Amino acid sequence: MVLLWRWVSGIPAYLWSGWGAVASLCLLLAVWEAVSITLGPLILPDPGATFGALWQLLAGGVAARELLLTGQRAMTGLLLAMVLGSSAGLLAGLSMTAAMMARPLVTVLLGTPPIAWLVLAMLWFGANDGTPVFTAFIACFPVIFVGALQGTRTLDHHLKDMAAMFRLPWHMRLTDLYGPHVLSYLFPAWINALGTAWKVAVMAELLASADGVGAALAIARSQLDMPVTLAWVGAVVLTLLLVEYLLLEPLKREVERWREVQA
Amino acid sequence: MLTMLREAARPTAAHPLWLCGMRPFFIATAAAAVLLMVPWLAFLAAGWPLPPVAGGPFAWHAHELLYGFALASVLGFLLTAVPEFTGTADFAPVTVRRLLLLWLAARMAFWLGGWGGAPLIVLSGLLHLALIGALAALAAPRLWADPQRQHLSFLWTLLALGICEAGFHVELLAGTATPLRWLYVSVGVYMVLVVVALSRISMRIVNQALSDAGQATDYLARPPRRNLLIVCIMLYTGAELLLPGSRLSGWLALATGAAVFQLMNDWHVGRVLLTRWPLMLYAIYVCMGLGYVCMGLGLLTPLGSFPGGRHLLTAGALGLAMLGAMSIAGRAHCGRTPDERAWLPLAALGLFLAAGVRAAAGWLLTDTMEAWLLAGVLWCGVFALYLRHLAPVLLTRRRDGRHGCHGVQEA
Repeated sequence: MVLLWRWVSGIPAYLWSGWGAVASLCLLLAVWEAVSITLGPLILPDPGATFGALWQLLAGGVAARELLLTGQRAMTGLLLAMVLGSSAGLLAGLSMTAAMMARPLVTVLLGTPPIAWLVLAMLWFGANDGTPVFTAFIACFPVIFVGALQGTRTLDHHLKDMAAMFRLPWHMRLTDLYGPHVLSYLFPAWINALGTAWKVAVMAELLASADGVGAALAIARSQLDMPVTLAWVGAVVLTLLLVEYLLLEPLKREVERWREVQA
Repeated sequence: MLTMLREAARPTAAHPLWLCGMRPFFIATAAAAVLLMVPWLAFLAAGWPLPPVAGGPFAWHAHELLYGFALASVLGFLLTAVPEFTGTADFAPVTVRRLLLLWLAARMAFWLGGWGGAPLIVLSGLLHLALIGALAALAAPRLWADPQRQHLSFLWTLLALGICEAGFHVELLAGTATPLRWLYVSVGVYMVLVVVALSRISMRIVNQALSDAGQATDYLARPPRRNLLIVCIMLYTGAELLLPGSRLSGWLALATGAAVFQLMNDWHVGRVLLTRWPLMLYAIYVCMGLGYVCMGLGLLTPLGSFPGGRHLLTAGALGLAMLGAMSIAGRAHCGRTPDERAWLPLAALGLFLAAGVRAAAGWLLTDTMEAWLLAGVLWCGVFALYLRHLAPVLLTRRRDGRHGCHGVQEA
């Protein structure tokens, strides 16, 4: 409850601190406008035309439907990766041997491009939900696994010894010692994975689905409709920005507050 | 007060008016604010004739408020601030008198430009350039000699104002349809000047207020935020000069508005912000941010009002900055403690309302003429109040027995 109240009361100051980001984004839009004036609307429509197309998509309910579908796929893949990646990473972190063994496997997973996984997924799952979900999962898994592994490996042994000496109850060890430390590694990994899941799901849909934002992008591309193409890109980026800056970033700050107190 | 003004008119170096550079110029600023607005209101309401300057009535209104009213305040501010910031001697009374004469001559030359034709336009341009050039020449060696050279931005803004004046007069001579664009660039230069000057003034004022309230927190005018804002103002101003009315300048105006709001993060130091001096200075940024947003929305959407936004910058941000600087420095450099009387917050509120009413005219307020007149009357009232309360201080000797521009003596 305290956490929730602190989060709510900090919202105005947090939102006001976002004006710098708004200024940067407006400068980006100005550059976009300048490039559009130079190259012409056929190559790059101006932001006004793009936002007009986006508004049409939003007003007609098309954007919400497709975004929801893509969101569901990306979130399913992400959730699977969060559960499996976090647990596997935590377990691997408990044993030095397991950590040593896991490292090359993670390198292999991280080194395999998502497009390669996508081709495999298309062969395994065909043109259904399984393809984007699996591709998002496999792209996020190593990122989260490494975060969890590092969180466990970097636990302060002195603090562990002290907890053992004072016979700290297990739930206190979890909430006051292991939890905050591991979460401070896991949270950034989850946020990174969220961006990855979102992008990879759109990419998978583009090549392997008949619906979702990626499929809508593919249709707009085939019709050479530049404003609608950019509107879909804008919708994807805006959704990600909203989720990250309105939900995850404040939560991350709250979870990592103990670092500031310690500093 | 009339007796004091009559005494001041006698060119004796001993008169208190010449004790400090800001004294005559702050009086000239407030007088110009009223004397330049009354004919404009009479012109708007009853069609009374204005001096037939080249460029038309709008050029007269904009030029005189930027280079009559605002430049006088800048002259007064820099003639006092440069010696203070650089730890050098005050400027001599004779220098101040010459600059004041130059300012008056420049006014006359511009006003008579419509009758005298090209020679008087050239003369007006040369007099304005001489005035700005003389101030820059006086300030440059001191600002340059400062080991850290942290106040050179004042010099660059003066040079930019000189370029704008030259551009304006060249276009007047050439008879082009766009001389006003140089005055719009001047607004951008003044905004940069306000941001630079306010970063110096606010550090002292807000930290003093924090210390008075017993708060341990420090206010810091952070350079990165200020620099982002200055870059945005410059980009918008450049776009307005080269691509006036474009959507590109609309986005840049919105970016500038957002950059003003992010600068205001520095000011969120708790309840102290609601006290008289910090709040008055904070209102400058409120007007500036809203002004740029209003202009941006006016350019990009059917919402907002472009001229309204411009007046939030000029009447609001610039007017409040002038009133704030003249009220703070006007007393401090006469050896008086800050003004705690009620007229000052009322005057600031009046100016804020004047800018708001002018911005809403023709957009939110449908009766445009009434709104214009109300805004103009409020503006005149504010600077008449300033003259009523500050002229007696600026025209009399210091009570602390000190000379020149020294600040209040520490107890």
